[in-house]
Amino acid sequence: MTAAVTVPTEPDLGRMQHDRLTRLRHAMDQHGVDTLVLLGNSNVSYATGASWPLADPGRANVERPVAVVTAGDGPPHLFTPFPELAAADLGLPEDHVHGPAYPEIDEGARALGRMLAELVPAGGKVAVDELPGPMRRAGELLFPGGPPTSADDVVGAAKLVKTPDELGFLRTALRITEEAMAPVQVDLAPGVRQVDLTARFLRAVFEQGAEANILDPIFQVMPTRLAEGPWTTHGDIACPLVTTEQELAEGDVIWVDTGISYAGFSSDFGRTWLVGADPTPRQQAQFRTWKDILDAVLAVTRAGATGADLTRAALAAAGGHKPWMEHFYLGHGLGVDSAESPFVGTDLGDAYDERQVLAAGTVLVLEPLVWDDGASGYRAEEVVAITDDGWISLTDYPYDPYGD
Amino acid sequence: MATELLADDKALREARRRRALAEMEARDIDVLVLGREANARYVTGAQRLWTAGTRPFGPGCVVVRATGAVHLVSTWDAGVPEDIPHEHLFGITWNPGNLLAWLGGIDGVAQARRVGTDSLTPRFAKLLPKVFPSAELVDAEPALEAARRIKTLEEVEAIRASTAVAETALAAAVGGLRPGTTERHLTGVFMEAMARQGVTTPATQRAVRVAGPGDRSRGGTAAIGEGDLVVFDAGVVAGGYAAEVARTWPASPAALDDTAIDLYRSAGELWDRLIGACRPDTTGADLLGVYEAEGRPPPPFPIATGLGLGFDVPVVTRDLPATAARERLAPGMVLAVTAHAADGAGRAVVRKDAVLVTAEGPEVLSSSPHWRP
Repeated sequence: MTAAVTVPTEPDLGRMQHDRLTRLRHAMDQHGVDTLVLLGNSNVSYATGASWPLADPGRANVERPVAVVTAGDGPPHLFTPFPELAAADLGLPEDHVHGPAYPEIDEGARALGRMLAELVPAGGKVAVDELPGPMRRAGELLFPGGPPTSADDVVGAAKLVKTPDELGFLRTALRITEEAMAPVQVDLAPGVRQVDLTARFLRAVFEQGAEANILDPIFQVMPTRLAEGPWTTHGDIACPLVTTEQELAEGDVIWVDTGISYAGFSSDFGRTWLVGADPTPRQQAQFRTWKDILDAVLAVTRAGATGADLTRAALAAAGGHKPWMEHFYLGHGLGVDSAESPFVGTDLGDAYDERQVLAAGTVLVLEPLVWDDGASGYRAEEVVAITDDGWISLTDYPYDPYGD
Repeated sequence: MATELLADDKALREARRRRALAEMEARDIDVLVLGREANARYVTGAQRLWTAGTRPFGPGCVVVRATGAVHLVSTWDAGVPEDIPHEHLFGITWNPGNLLAWLGGIDGVAQARRVGTDSLTPRFAKLLPKVFPSAELVDAEPALEAARRIKTLEEVEAIRASTAVAETALAAAVGGLRPGTTERHLTGVFMEAMARQGVTTPATQRAVRVAGPGDRSRGGTAAIGEGDLVVFDAGVVAGGYAAEVARTWPASPAALDDTAIDLYRSAGELWDRLIGACRPDTTGADLLGVYEAEGRPPPPFPIATGLGLGFDVPVVTRDLPATAARERLAPGMVLAVTAHAADGAGRAVVRKDAVLVTAEGPEVLSSSPHWRP
């Protein structure tokens, strides 16, 4: 299949959901699944198009939207504590938008089971993404056709390749993040606390239309050398470390990593900043090396390339050592989740990377780094959408104060 | 928050861990395999990175009853208490095989007869029996829930501190309210004021909304009108503990009609009776009964929820009447209690406060001013 990858400036929610449902049902068919019952916030967003200001994960017993997708035709069912956030634009019929479900509470799990009996054909194969205790105890009601299978494979297969509208919404999420970062970078100065940067960032992202902050923003002061700590299980860099009230000092190297959500999409942002100083020649050299590694990876990035093609390019450009964090990856997908398939360069191993064949429309966040022990290092993230003959960039935030 | 990444205070974490071990003992659970941050924080006192939204279950923390040892997925020791030695830390992994090998290699796991998890996925329902071939896999969330239900003295202090942060941020947002401003702007003001206090993690992120029909179509950008009722729903997570306080302010008091003023009166009466009912032996059904007695339908969301590290009980809502009837308040519980009065058009006055149940009666932990007619 060859199709040009385009990013509409005005993405359409209705069209996006139509396309997503088509993909989901194709994947359901491939996996022999008749009904999807989805509890994960990002999976619910994917299946229904609903989005809402995400809460602390510990509130899932109080507010947890649930989506139900059946094989065949028809819109999905949405159980939501925020019906007013669903009704307006989703185009779901009234009888498909239900009040809240409480799958984390026994009475709620049984009630959900009774509802499902009315909504979905009896005896079909059900796949779920989470099985809290109450749902297991209500298993006979919820899963009369036998134990449920994993919905992860189904949703994972559907969401791997983005539709044009998905790319459009995702790019808006990325732009909101980048526009909010500009005033934060202006604030960067000796004496400013890490949390002050977060304060400025949060103010700006919400004012610019973010639905939620999805990650406690990272403004990590990097050590000069690894021996300064903290201790790690692998002896490699400790990152990301939680933001505190630490005051920044002149010359500090700051690794920034943040993400917000918009229309159900996660953004990702990564740059290296310097506090009250211009980069030294050695720091400029780090940046040039980083750029060389990135360019080498991008040079082989296209539909049909494997994850291993990318890791090989990165290794070669970095002189044989791994230019990414041992506990993370060279690259990861981005969409309704802030890190989703495809993963490139993880501890899943080389054979796994060889099997990951990039497809046009897949989104990849590349995050190589350069560590120069004794002089800290440089790290930044690039977000690209894969095309048949290469990639298109979804971000354009400058590298200041590095580069020309 | 401090200038360096610290684990929870020793007294706080030791009291919690003792309770968790006591519940394991009482329920004959040999090993806990925990995925939820609320539970991992409860037993470890470690501060890990906050993210918003639900997370699928995956093993991230293990407690072995026989040895009392706690093991944690963390690639570094920053934010990890000193009573969890380096050899009990396991680095972040993307490979389920590596995760299972770690689990299987933990001392005391091979002898376990009953292994409790705080949730599960179909995938781990298949994988975990490979690590614990002779153990029964049980739901441990009720054990953790029981441990977390009554707050220790240190936990109550942590919730007080978190509540103070929420209220200061709430006041900043209310200070920006005037006709013509937007939900987005005021939400930004709230979040900034929270972070300036050193707390960068919200509990809820729908911090400011016009309580009226059609708020979604506004997209948070439409100007707040003279007659609008604006709900400030302040939720923060400080030191791991959630605080929740909500107030409803008129955009322009002079523009309020009689119906809106009645809503304020009703919400005030509901609040008085709800808070008054927060004493030992009151049931969740009694709290719902307060709405009935006032002639107001309970809202379609919980009117009382436990506050703590997360997944707290009770959850009292009209949709779960049998659960509400069974839930009985006891000294040491901390609840977010909501009074909610709405008219037919969707306008509402909401008042939510944090309440500590004591033997003598309710102690309201929050003290934000509220608008009164």
